[in-house]
Amino acid sequence: MTKKKLSIALAGNANVGKSVIFNQLTGLHQHIGNWPGKTVEKAEGTLHFKGYEIDIIDLPGIYSLSTYSLEELVSREYIAVERPNLVINVLDASVLERNLFFTLQLTELETPMVIALNQVDIAKKKGIEIDCEKLSQTLGVPVIPTVAIKGIGVYKLLEVVLETIEKGELKPRQTTYGEEIEERIEKIASLVEKIGFKYPARWTAVKLLEGDEEVENEISKKEPNILPIVKKMADEIEKIHGHSCSTVMTSERYELAGRITREVQQIMPAAKPSMSQRLDDLTTHRVFGYLLMAVIVLSIFCAIFTFGGFASTLLSDAFYSWEPIFENIVGKGVMGELIWGGIEGIMAGVTVILPYIAPFYFLLYVLEDSGYLSRVAFLMDVAMHKIGLHGKAFIPTMLAYGCNVPACLGCRIMETQRERLLAAFVVTMIPCAATTVVVLGLVGTFVNIEWALTLYIVDLVIIFLLGRVAFKVLPGEPTELIMEMNEYRLPHLKTVVNQTWFRLEEFIKIAFPVIIVSSLVIKGMEVLGFMELLSVALSPITVGWLGLRPEMGIPLVFGILRKELTLIMLATLLKPAGLSVLTPVQMVVFTLVTMLYIPCVATIAACVKEFGWKKTLYITIFRIILAIFIGGVAFRILLFSKIL
Amino acid sequence: MEKPLTALKDGDSGVITSIKENPGHGRGAGWGFQKRLMDMGLTPGTKVTVIKSAPFNGPVEVSVRGSRLALGRGMAERIFVAMDK
Repeated sequence: MTKKKLSIALAGNANVGKSVIFNQLTGLHQHIGNWPGKTVEKAEGTLHFKGYEIDIIDLPGIYSLSTYSLEELVSREYIAVERPNLVINVLDASVLERNLFFTLQLTELETPMVIALNQVDIAKKKGIEIDCEKLSQTLGVPVIPTVAIKGIGVYKLLEVVLETIEKGELKPRQTTYGEEIEERIEKIASLVEKIGFKYPARWTAVKLLEGDEEVENEISKKEPNILPIVKKMADEIEKIHGHSCSTVMTSERYELAGRITREVQQIMPAAKPSMSQRLDDLTTHRVFGYLLMAVIVLSIFCAIFTFGGFASTLLSDAFYSWEPIFENIVGKGVMGELIWGGIEGIMAGVTVILPYIAPFYFLLYVLEDSGYLSRVAFLMDVAMHKIGLHGKAFIPTMLAYGCNVPACLGCRIMETQRERLLAAFVVTMIPCAATTVVVLGLVGTFVNIEWALTLYIVDLVIIFLLGRVAFKVLPGEPTELIMEMNEYRLPHLKTVVNQTWFRLEEFIKIAFPVIIVSSLVIKGMEVLGFMELLSVALSPITVGWLGLRPEMGIPLVFGILRKELTLIMLATLLKPAGLSVLTPVQMVVFTLVTMLYIPCVATIAACVKEFGWKKTLYITIFRIILAIFIGGVAFRILLFSKIL
Repeated sequence: MEKPLTALKDGDSGVITSIKENPGHGRGAGWGFQKRLMDMGLTPGTKVTVIKSAPFNGPVEVSVRGSRLALGRGMAERIFVAMDK
């Protein structure tokens, strides 16, 4: 029996509970990938309901359908060109006016639509009551009140969605602009109609008047004569209103959204500031806000490192107890060592993911879902500005202390490609958990903890300075923070767990193949005896320039796999005497080089995925040269100053 | 009296009169940020209230059309408002 297929898209502003509705509708039948050729996330899921197989797409949270960000472009492209059977527009009932601005743009795309008026409970707490019936009549689309987080209204929503689709073509009412604009829209639309364009004619006309570059480009490819006509009309409108045509149209749309809001909404002033408001005041306070942030961030790190260290030791002990058994079965030959190397690579991944990355992601999503991360971005905006980024970049920076891979992917939070690259350049230099193991295990244990901390500070200063240089060198101008400070709310556990799971899946897909393959390659080189040759080849740098022992080049090669391997390999190579044969200067220089010299293979793979081969290669080469240079300088300073 | 949003004290409100282009940059950059601000509801004629500013010349939190937004300092400086009084 073949089922009837339908496709439905969820669209709306960020933080309106779209993902929660998506999770309620699709349960576990979902997967998250990228839109083809774009670094924009695509969440897709399937749902079986009343004999239909429904494909649900969760579009990115956006505020407009212009071309400000890739997310907006992808969304409008999907709705206008792919033409889903219906769009569910999710609104936050507590911020109705701004949400309706987006709704009005959706109606212009002439797509069948149902509105989920979400978070009516939060709105009620703020003293806001909305007349759904009236809103539905005004917009010409069904409106269903929901509290998605508790599952209220979601079933009803689905029923109404199906009813609407079964009833057939239902176009929402169109936004009407002022007379002088309307007559021009009509003229342009009739011109567009004639040439047959992929977008609806009226919408195209609106976008052309607004000066939308993407639509302009596409239209001029088909019919170059339209643009000058549009330009003239836009100038006429500008003359009438004294503002640019785009400003006038946005204003009119907002005016309409405001008018509708006033008609359907009643506000009773809340007697006392809400819990969310008081939390907001505290968490963005100029003194307590920072204190609280420091406490929260530090306790997350402490919790994860304590738990992670414990769980990771447990896992790897269990794993290595199998080594003798493995040798008994497969033997100790070249093949055996190679296979073991591969298994070791996988296992190393597992001992990092389960104990460190999974809980880190989980806690981070709890904070994000609750609304706290936007407060952190608000507080850190000034600091991040020093390296040309805005406050949101602090989030991947924080992630990077755990692992650079998710941090690199997390740079998508930035709006433009320039910002993403700049942020990635910075975050991949942050010492991750594995690097911290080396710093503490070598310098912290054998020199002293002050020197370990000094290395951290030196590293941060270097990162800061390089960030500043990169920001000045990269063409383009910095984007500033424009961020919604949404209400605090209780995180939705299922959504948080789902997000954590999908991030882990992504991590596994990127990191595991490269870790395994490169483990095999390096193990192979070792088995075939290339390592001695390599250490001789590297000795002008390692011995001559950096003042290290000749065998110390080998751990640096292994460290490309995973940073903590530098320490493990070094300990193995220096047996039986052990790490204590190294001079303190050698330890410090070696650790400094380890911190700087290259992102690990998994991070490189993540960079390639986000930015392509060329940029990743430049970054990698730059880092190697930088580490060698700084390591050599540090060696000479330490040698002549005799402070160690 | 017209002044930049950053000149307002916490709790003050005003009506937006204009958003100045980013000085010294081409149309692309200026247009993008103006459009973005307007998409978020900061159109000329709209009432904005400053909730608070972050210390050390940090971003400004404003309330506009029933929502709360954080705006980078450099951007807030280019939004001009007329005070109520």
